[in-house]
Amino acid sequence: MQLALPDLQAAFAAHVAGVDRPDLVAAVVGDTIPAEARLRVYRHHVSHSLSAALAATFPTVQALVGEAFFRGLAQGFVAEALPAQPVLTEYGAEFPAFVATHEPARALPYLADIASLDWALNVAFHSPEGRRVAAVDLAGIAAERLPSLSIVLPEGASLIRSLYPIDRIWKASQPGASADTVDLEAGRADLLVLRRADDAAFIVLDTGEAAFVAALVEGVSLESAAEGALSADPSFDLSAAFARLLTLEAFAALQQSWGG
Amino acid sequence: MDLVTGIGLRAPHLAEIARDRPATGFLEIHAENYLGASPARQMIERLRETNTFSIHAVGLSLGSAEGLDERHLDRVAALVKRLEPAYVSDHLSWSVHGGRYFNDLLPLPYTEEALDAVVRNVGRLQEALGRQVSIENPSCYLAFAHSTLTEPEFLAELARRSGCGLLLDLNNIVVTAHNLRLDPHDWLQALPDKAITEYHLAGHAVNDCDGEPLLIDDHGSRVGPEAWSLFDEIVRRYGARPTLIEWDTDIPALSVLLDEAAKADRAITMANPDAARAA
Repeated sequence: MQLALPDLQAAFAAHVAGVDRPDLVAAVVGDTIPAEARLRVYRHHVSHSLSAALAATFPTVQALVGEAFFRGLAQGFVAEALPAQPVLTEYGAEFPAFVATHEPARALPYLADIASLDWALNVAFHSPEGRRVAAVDLAGIAAERLPSLSIVLPEGASLIRSLYPIDRIWKASQPGASADTVDLEAGRADLLVLRRADDAAFIVLDTGEAAFVAALVEGVSLESAAEGALSADPSFDLSAAFARLLTLEAFAALQQSWGG
Repeated sequence: MDLVTGIGLRAPHLAEIARDRPATGFLEIHAENYLGASPARQMIERLRETNTFSIHAVGLSLGSAEGLDERHLDRVAALVKRLEPAYVSDHLSWSVHGGRYFNDLLPLPYTEEALDAVVRNVGRLQEALGRQVSIENPSCYLAFAHSTLTEPEFLAELARRSGCGLLLDLNNIVVTAHNLRLDPHDWLQALPDKAITEYHLAGHAVNDCDGEPLLIDDHGSRVGPEAWSLFDEIVRRYGARPTLIEWDTDIPALSVLLDEAAKADRAITMANPDAARAA
């Protein structure tokens, strides 16, 4: 019996996701190349092309584990989570979490955080550049108003906090980087990932700055963010941190905070 | 002679093209690569001021029985509105089912039921874009036993009922004809010439499939001799159309693409000098 189009597409969708469907095989013309072999071309292409898309989005993960290991990792993820839409640079948000639970990757405890960093760079890269707050924009703001303002981070920006020195691991994994070893005991890394004019990049934050930015992400006022930063790092210097992040064009806007 | 052949604009060549602005018929981009706000998108918007563009979508899934993904359609429509390309196209295939995207041009049975679905979806697309789109013949690795129409018959009927144009990919005809044991020259015989809007040229790979050669449409090499020969034949028969050199894997130096495009322009002039002037 011939398959109606919706049933045929449901069967084909199951087939490319790895489920053998005898009804689909029966619907395909076989000759010296059997129907099963013809159908396999599509199953392989789906898995292979989506794995390649993940390799493009997570280049540092692939550089760290090698192409063969990455392919296994990516194909495992593809089998669990096909894209929900056709824009492949938006595919893979759950890949870092998959890496974290993937048994063969356990030997590299920082790998999931590197995947998070790759993903954050990808998201920032595909976000609008937008305008940034410059020192001159502050000229018109009365000093007593500053503590009650909150800061809007640029679209696509994110804070990646890791127990491992992922900034150094990332740098050592870039094409052409010198093969220096990275000491995993070097301590944690807190990175603010941002869109830049021609690419995406991260700013390495110290403990106080990281607590400060984490609070800003929550939308609290500068005053509350500074209090949080001071409790994380008693030597936190608000004006120095504010000036540094301003110079690095890390703020998209200042606005009146209605929250804490 | 005017240059009528364009090239696929791919990420590794973007900076060079933006800097050198090489002469070419047009630049083609894949819609799905430029829906975000990346620096590449900004470069495209600047190039648009001096170049003719073609937007080739790969993910609209015009063969889906369940209809189109309206959110994706909106995003593609916004890109088309923004770039105002000379040509817009996607494929006679499907790639979405039940909210999952397969990143492949999956085959359709050539039946009246499938024709109704594609006519409906192409109609919806043309309505959303407010313009005609062109539909490309896919590379096929299998045929369905219950198909009642040939691929060219299906395309001709689709063009007649939806008013869409036809984008004929000569390499895909070579690949499909080899894989499905068809005669590529027969394939070309009875096309509705007024509906033909564009030609595509690319290379393919030859894979081993259970001991038999199977041609794979990988866009990873120069245009092969069979596709050049069919290109001559189609230009002689139906006249010149805007033509594209596609290259998507193992992307070579830009000069190689421009060289292939010049070769296509020469083939058009040789095959049909009058049409080359008119195109």
